[in-house]
Amino acid sequence: MNTRISFLLNDNLISEELNPAAVLLDYLRSAGLTGTKEGCREGDCGACTVISGQIRNNTIVYRTVNSCLIPLMNVNGHHIVTIEGLNQKKNNLTPVQHYFINEGASQCGFCTPGFIVSATGFLLSGKDNSYDNIIDAIDGNICRCTGHNSIIRAVNDLAAEFSELPEDFHERIEYLIRRNVLPEFFRNIEEKLPHIKTMSGQKNGNETPKYFVGGGTDLFVQKPAEMLSSELTFLRSSDNLNEIFERDGFCFVGSGATVTDILNSPLIKDYFPGINEFSELFGSTPIRNSATLGGNINNASPIGDMTAFFLALDPEVILSGGTEERSVRLKNFFISYKKTVRKQNEFLKYLKFRIPGGEYFFNFEKVSKRTYLDIASVNSAVLLKLDNNFISDIHISAGGVFEIPKYLSAASEFLLGKNIDPEILRQAVEIADTEISPISDARGSERYKRLLLSRLIYAHFIKLFPNLIDIKETV
Amino acid sequence: MKNYDIIQHVTGRSLFIDDINVPNGILYAKVFYSQIAHGKILSVDLSEALSVRGVLRIITSVDIPGVNQIGGIVQDEKLLADDEVHFIGMPVALVIAESKFIAETAAQKIKVEYEKLPVITDPREAFSKGYLSIPPRIFSSGNVDTAWKECDFIEEGRCDSGGQEHLYLETQGAFSFPLEGGSIKVISSTQGPSAVQKTVADVLGISRNKVEVEVLRLGGGFGGKEDQASAWAALSALAASVMNKPVKLILSRHDDMIMTGKRNPYSSDFKIGLNKDGRILAYEVSFYQNSGASADLSPAILDRSLFHCTNSYFIPNVKATGYCCRTNVAPNTAFRGFGGPQGKFVIESAVYKAALKMNIPAYEIQRKNLIKEGQYFHYGQKAVNVMAEKTWNEAESQFNFESIRMNQKKFNAGNKLFKKGSAVMPICFGIAFTNTRMNQANALVNIYIDGSISFSTAAVEMGQGVNAKIREVISRVFSVSQDRIKNEPTNTTRSANTSPTAASSGADLNCNAVYIACSKILERLLLSAAEDLGENNSDNLKIKDESVYINDDKTTLDWNNLIENAYTKRISLCDYAHYATPELHFDKDTNKGTPFRYHVYGTAVTEVTVDCMRGIFKIDSVKAVHDFGTSLNPVIDLGQAEGALLQGLGWMTIEEIIHDKNGKLLSDLLSTYKVPDVHFAPGNVDIRFLKEPNPVGIFNSKAIGEPPLMYGIGVYFAIMNAVREFNSHAVPEFSAPFTPEKVLLKLYEKSDADGVRYESQTGEKSNIL
Ligand SMILES: Cc1cc2nc3c(=O)[nH]c(=O)nc-3n(C[C@H](O)[C@H](O)[C@H](O)COP(=O)(O)OP(=O)(O)OC[C@H]3O[C@@H](n4cnc5c(N)ncnc54)[C@H](O)[C@@H]3O)c2cc1C
Ligand code: FES
Ligand code: FES
Repeated sequence: MNTRISFLLNDNLISEELNPAAVLLDYLRSAGLTGTKEGCREGDCGACTVISGQIRNNTIVYRTVNSCLIPLMNVNGHHIVTIEGLNQKKNNLTPVQHYFINEGASQCGFCTPGFIVSATGFLLSGKDNSYDNIIDAIDGNICRCTGHNSIIRAVNDLAAEFSELPEDFHERIEYLIRRNVLPEFFRNIEEKLPHIKTMSGQKNGNETPKYFVGGGTDLFVQKPAEMLSSELTFLRSSDNLNEIFERDGFCFVGSGATVTDILNSPLIKDYFPGINEFSELFGSTPIRNSATLGGNINNASPIGDMTAFFLALDPEVILSGGTEERSVRLKNFFISYKKTVRKQNEFLKYLKFRIPGGEYFFNFEKVSKRTYLDIASVNSAVLLKLDNNFISDIHISAGGVFEIPKYLSAASEFLLGKNIDPEILRQAVEIADTEISPISDARGSERYKRLLLSRLIYAHFIKLFPNLIDIKETV
Repeated sequence: MKNYDIIQHVTGRSLFIDDINVPNGILYAKVFYSQIAHGKILSVDLSEALSVRGVLRIITSVDIPGVNQIGGIVQDEKLLADDEVHFIGMPVALVIAESKFIAETAAQKIKVEYEKLPVITDPREAFSKGYLSIPPRIFSSGNVDTAWKECDFIEEGRCDSGGQEHLYLETQGAFSFPLEGGSIKVISSTQGPSAVQKTVADVLGISRNKVEVEVLRLGGGFGGKEDQASAWAALSALAASVMNKPVKLILSRHDDMIMTGKRNPYSSDFKIGLNKDGRILAYEVSFYQNSGASADLSPAILDRSLFHCTNSYFIPNVKATGYCCRTNVAPNTAFRGFGGPQGKFVIESAVYKAALKMNIPAYEIQRKNLIKEGQYFHYGQKAVNVMAEKTWNEAESQFNFESIRMNQKKFNAGNKLFKKGSAVMPICFGIAFTNTRMNQANALVNIYIDGSISFSTAAVEMGQGVNAKIREVISRVFSVSQDRIKNEPTNTTRSANTSPTAASSGADLNCNAVYIACSKILERLLLSAAEDLGENNSDNLKIKDESVYINDDKTTLDWNNLIENAYTKRISLCDYAHYATPELHFDKDTNKGTPFRYHVYGTAVTEVTVDCMRGIFKIDSVKAVHDFGTSLNPVIDLGQAEGALLQGLGWMTIEEIIHDKNGKLLSDLLSTYKVPDVHFAPGNVDIRFLKEPNPVGIFNSKAIGEPPLMYGIGVYFAIMNAVREFNSHAVPEFSAPFTPEKVLLKLYEKSDADGVRYESQTGEKSNIL
């Protein structure tokens, strides 16, 4: 099972025969790097956060990831930075650490390395230093002791000090080294990394594996033990699957594109200007950095957010089984709970949707118990076009209310050709209610999910057409 | 003045249990636990598990050389189930293997046959069947029965509060290794090293002096490791003893959530009576506490609910009854506040309901009934140095309640989709273990010949900064730099027979013991200095900034010389001291006495915005004036207050423990049990220091750990007020947590559930605050 895995760990080259499905966290801790903590092994606490650097378009892109969910194969050829990597000289604290100390932003200390790594990763990422962005950077880290207030003060201080980060990657690295945020070894990574990638066996796995592995954020939560002994194909180690491009009036999103990739895509931003707001509701920064579109769709979870988002675009998915390729409407892709039409040897290559034209409106809604870093109780998206105030095209999706991600065909059909008014919406909501069959579980009772979906459908219209719909008329 | 450990924390160098270098050949253990909530064990089949390569042994109850009993207050809890299982998660067997992974794999292959018995998860059902862990407890004062007649308004109702998972980021765990002569050393993540020592000794059938328990630090405790760390320590010790090898047992998050108890859920009935001026004349309450499958600390927790059932209010006639109800969920246990929050939520609900009936804002009733100097609590203790009105008045003027109310009105008038609401929450919390005999501590202080100092106490560091406070005390007594002072790990060979670090009292008890030890050394040092300096009266001497002064004149004798000279003269540089909190007594039969050394007070105002389209909400601000005493360390105390507050807010809103009817925990992972994250934290948390010295506190300080959690209760009523701004039909239900689900259902509640209709208050006296 073992295969050669090579990566840079802080400033050390690691090149060993390892189980590619072992998770990075276990590797680190057994190598004595115990600053990276285990708090949950399910991507929900951030105590295990590390920074992962990867060559993309000839430069290194650094992003934070949850080491508890990342299989070693997915760090092959990467630069991994742990808390130990930040303090090369003893007693030489970085500014990030200083601010945490000054604000008393650490109590028991168990969560702290994760926060320090996330905040450092943020400075490395080159994201614009706004308040919202730096808070998002630590949205995958849970602290049970401090109440987060002191941590918020610390990262705010940090953002203020580093308000003018150079945009250029090399300049930024130099600057961060000079300011003692990063150790010197960061300077040479760009030279070393390309060689490292070529050192490994590059065997991604079998043609008909038991599992295709995307980011692993689902597989390694659900069945980590099974992964260790299963035939796997790691899709992320093949390039190109993360591309997002336009061709013949269609947008193609590679199945290996992560939420972050999708967010960063100029094309997507262009068509969905509100996407930032929606995507913040998906997992956390490190989860967004790993979770792929292909994983979200193939998971076939009734509450997948990307699935609900794209389902409203009525797209096709392109499946590839070796030499054969075929395409299926996404709304026909799901058969029953966690079952899809995908054959064992097929993997999802692209999602393909017609680029909306004319006067179109899009909205995505998600409500969960905790607004951020939580799985939806119910989610929903809508794409609609208006022609002289009449709905000329409409697709509504709903998650969490049926055994599969639900395309609300009856409600969508009903609204076609109608104008937008409260009475019509009331009827549409009633129809939608007949299309769903939610179950009571930890994310809410059936009664709640029914009410919530109806409110979210109203919310789409109240948000998109505030002048046409008054909330009081929907009660 | 920082938490000393923090430099280690930010560099990832702090060691937690699972980080400590383990000896070669260490073995790993995994607990196999009951898969059903109640039943008889018919057979246990270990054969398949034992055949897994790398499995060395599987321990069951028959391997216990001592007693199979770990109950603290009531002896009703087995370490390993033998005949019956009482909850899903009850340990049945312990797999010992060469690696964690092997142990986990093998545990899945253990097969148990059960005969199922009826499952109860609801405390009221347990009560009706008579399943009580201890006889009912009744606290009373005055006479409620006659008082009702004098009341102009009487309201009754029901109130429920849910459990709460501690979610210390470091899961429970321990590792043990055999020492020579049948002794054993246990490294444990526990708040109560002496409790672990006792449990291990009992289970192994050896005397306590053969069990050494050491605690370096905890990655969070919050009460969850007060009593419930003992089982894992005892299991690892049992395994180490059976195998004669070191054994480590660290719980996975999932196992921890399944096997360990949580904050006790309560279901309560209340009846409150007021006169037309809004004065509360009588209050009657019954608490049905869900204690889980065994008593654990629940009886003590129940007592604290009874103590704090009137929160900050003086009520002349009180009758409070508590039932410790046994159910088939994991034994519930201490959680920051220890029954106080559960008790306070009920009285606040009663006040809220009464206010609706009387058509006045709740804050008027709250304000009018705050306890005053010299009045008596219903348990017979006289209220002294009362800060209830003082913190209220300070909060009201510093945060301008009136303008908060006006802003809200304006906002609500101009917004259809979002509504704001707010509520005031006063708190009053007694400091001391209510079990009087636990209020003692001891400390060892060593000065080394080079002038450096170390101390050992029973205090367990879990991020609350107790060691930083002790250093502060030492540095003040000796007037030396804190850099000279180091804490030793908490260890039962240095600190014997100690109470757990709990009840907010860790700093009070241990600082006082350290203070006494330091004072004894100081006295000797000053005598020695007087001799060195040829001064007759050592009373004229003092140490200031590491130098000896005669009156106000600095001498050439500095700390290092002083210490060296004393050593040369064979004067002891070390001392040990014991501290027992004075003046405490409590009669458990009449439930009267002076159980607390002092009380902590405060007042907070919470503002929320509810998203009426989606039923979600954002806590805009929590502003409080808190009675910190004279803080020993403001950074630490503020951090404690903020952290406690957020846990309180979480408990009241999104932290939801859910069991199905078979007793299976559905919220058993971080993906299904949500604690506050960085986005949940209120945009504005403003906790101000009421700097009133505490005459009976060490250096006039006050305890801080638990009280601020109870400010969180205010958020419940703030949300309710906002909801009622959108939907005047919404009838308050007093069922925490107020999850987005409940909020949405309330927002769109059509007709009034119980036929009662409260007018929406839009007049002068809006109920918003
Ligand atoms: C902490 C946390 C938070 C989360 N939050 C959210 C959230 O807010 N919203 C949400 O929707 N999800 C959430 N998830 C779930 C998960 O992250 C997403 O479903 C994610 O998109 C899965 O992608 P992946 O690449 O990591 O999947 P993987 O784990 O790699 O794979 C998931 C499944 O898809 C299959 N698969 C993957 N790629 C392909 C492919 N190209 N072709 C065929 N099959 C494939 C795998 O075999 C597997 O069965 C969260 C998960 C975690 C751990
Ligand atoms: S251990 Fe919690 S996110 Fe990885
Ligand atoms: S400091 Fe304890 S969890 Fe953050």
